[in-house]
Amino acid sequence: MDHRKYMTILKLDEAAIASRRAFFAVSDEDLARLASLRPLAEKIIDAIVEDFYALLLSHPDTRKFFADEATIRRVKRTQREYFMGLFAGRCDLAYVEDRLRVGAMHERIGLAPTWYLGAYRQYLELIRQHFDAQLTEQGAARDGFLSVQRLVFFDVALAIDTYIAANLEALGRHQAAVRELSTPVIRVHDRVLLLPLVGTVDSHRAQQIMESVLTHVVEAQARCIIIDIAGVPVVDTRVADHLLKTAAAVRLLGAQVVLTGITAQVARTMVQLGLDVSSMHTVSRLSEGIELALGMIGKAITAKSK
Amino acid sequence: MSAHSQIPILRIGSTLLVSIQIDLHDAVAEAFQADVLSAIEQRGTTGLVVDISGLDMVDTYVARILAETGRMAKLMGTSTVLVGMRPEVAATLVRMGYGLEGVRTALDLDDGLALLGHVIARR
Repeated sequence: MDHRKYMTILKLDEAAIASRRAFFAVSDEDLARLASLRPLAEKIIDAIVEDFYALLLSHPDTRKFFADEATIRRVKRTQREYFMGLFAGRCDLAYVEDRLRVGAMHERIGLAPTWYLGAYRQYLELIRQHFDAQLTEQGAARDGFLSVQRLVFFDVALAIDTYIAANLEALGRHQAAVRELSTPVIRVHDRVLLLPLVGTVDSHRAQQIMESVLTHVVEAQARCIIIDIAGVPVVDTRVADHLLKTAAAVRLLGAQVVLTGITAQVARTMVQLGLDVSSMHTVSRLSEGIELALGMIGKAITAKSK
Repeated sequence: MSAHSQIPILRIGSTLLVSIQIDLHDAVAEAFQADVLSAIEQRGTTGLVVDISGLDMVDTYVARILAETGRMAKLMGTSTVLVGMRPEVAATLVRMGYGLEGVRTALDLDDGLALLGHVIARR
């Protein structure tokens, strides 16, 4: 997914960024201080990036993300850009967009937050060491480090939000796929549809079935939809009620429902429970249902003459 | 054509055609019913097609008006077909327990007119 989409999903506009900045205490003063530390950052960047990747390459779980020398060179370059970004002295829409790109990239390659967060620990420690060594003025190292830390936590929150958004998005896609699979509407003939139901029908699924059936009927301008319930293990009062509601709604559209796949067991249950499904055409076998449905559109299956 | 409901009532042969494109508020719905019935009375029609494909919401009141209009037209010798109901409207009506029993329905205008032809021929 494009990192710009995350901007929309996470609702990151000027106001949201200002609110985040306030919470993470990233002040204009911090940004100005970071900008003034830029010359120092340029001096220490090589050492930091080298030490940083030394750790990542020494651990088996993080080493596997760096397959070859070319990859390492590329990520080191990206890392330098990231590092210098901390000392750019700005924290606006463009900055956030850039940070989301980094988060989205890590999510895409499948780097778990564990390693990501652990790597940040190392990152901060390295920066601290260099600041302590280079900034000799009283309190300068501490103040500089605090500013870095604030901005880094701001970044980490964005990255974690990206992870979560990406996973939710994937979950949503899977749910849509399952939904799609649970109501596979097939076109049998011009204006005749077939919905083979397999598995338990609960209220939630029944609602999906109704919506899907109605949409398909209108889209295909179907005169008739065959609902085959041979694969539904239990047909009780609730399931029958759902089917009747669907049939009633289909009728409102101007089409009809043919219910097929009624086994002896199901027929017995329906009568014993006193379920009245007389508003639907019902037949036992699917083939009979197809013939019935074709009859409704003025077609018939005939034997080939020799 | 109508001075009350602002919903035009067209005539094709002995069939009246009404396409509802605006939300039916209570007053409009009643005026619509009156308009349709007086049109039937004045012109002696045999069929009425009501197209509701323009409605994205039909509440129980409007549903009742539509069903009632059909029954009233029937008393005056006119068969009614309701066409073009949207899926979400059908789902909502059924969920509210409003199946519009006794009202003939069709997918679109074409089907509606064909159905009306069958019904009238059978009479």
